[in-house]
Amino acid sequence: MATQRALPQSKESLLQNYNKRLKDDIRSILDNFTEIIKTAKIEDETQVSRATQAEQDHYEMHVRAANIVRAGESLMKLVSDLKQFLILNDFPSVNDAISLQNQQLRSLQEECDKKLTSLRDEIAIDLYELEEEYYSSSYNQWDSVDLPLCEAYRRRDSWASVGSSRSSSQGEQEETEGPLQQDVNSQHHLNGHAGAASIEKP
Amino acid sequence: MANERLRALEEVEKEIAMVLQCAGNIVMELSKDKHNASLLDRQLVQFQSSVNRVESELSGQIRYLTQVATGQPHEGSTYSSRKDCQMALNRAEYAKVKLGELGRTCEVMLEPPPAQQT
Repeated sequence: MATQRALPQSKESLLQNYNKRLKDDIRSILDNFTEIIKTAKIEDETQVSRATQAEQDHYEMHVRAANIVRAGESLMKLVSDLKQFLILNDFPSVNDAISLQNQQLRSLQEECDKKLTSLRDEIAIDLYELEEEYYSSSYNQWDSVDLPLCEAYRRRDSWASVGSSRSSSQGEQEETEGPLQQDVNSQHHLNGHAGAASIEKP
Repeated sequence: MANERLRALEEVEKEIAMVLQCAGNIVMELSKDKHNASLLDRQLVQFQSSVNRVESELSGQIRYLTQVATGQPHEGSTYSSRKDCQMALNRAEYAKVKLGELGRTCEVMLEPPPAQQT
């Protein structure tokens, strides 16, 4: 059983159809309303009896009122079709809506990235201080190959002044050897954390 | 601009309802024994103005669409910028999660050790 497909109407024929529907519905409303008003006029001379004439007028008014309501509903349908056509085919407004949306999304993304960048900079500063504190303490477990940030900066500074770095490194060795003999349990506890930290380091 | 045209069409819908209401009020007033002439005049004027407004507005919209419509589908989209924004929000969420974990780790480290039972 062959299925029938409705052919898509061209743009011009569709808009002509909209125009025609508009004209017909407005004309229907005006004509039917005018006829109702004319029918409401009481006439003394009638061709049939008054009761019959009244019944006929009553029925005619009902039909015309129904026509007015039908024309009103048809106009509402036309407005709905025009809204749909506007959303799909009004390219200037669609372009404006797309560019506005793109602009809003892009500004939100830039603000988000800017805040993340500033957060990164602040955390880097705090991390430098924390590493300096940690690796200069008695719980220092770092390998000479994998230098922490603070140590890398310190060695870079020490190349400029060799004499001062020798005295500071001797002081650090004395500090690290003493506390290493104490608190073995906490050292093991921190070893786990240090191990995790070294694994997480990129 | 699109919202303005759609809003104008919604106003047209209200005007159509107003047309029907005015017609009903006029017929109801005529059905009474004694008519209120001023009310009839007011309702009639409103009926005529509403009908004219509906016709002119819808004609204007159809004329605008005749000039603007091309019949081709619109191929623009906001997908790329939406995806970029979504990834930025995901980055922020990930940073928040990691900072939360770091905060909890610091709190655990700063807590005093539980007192050993003797």
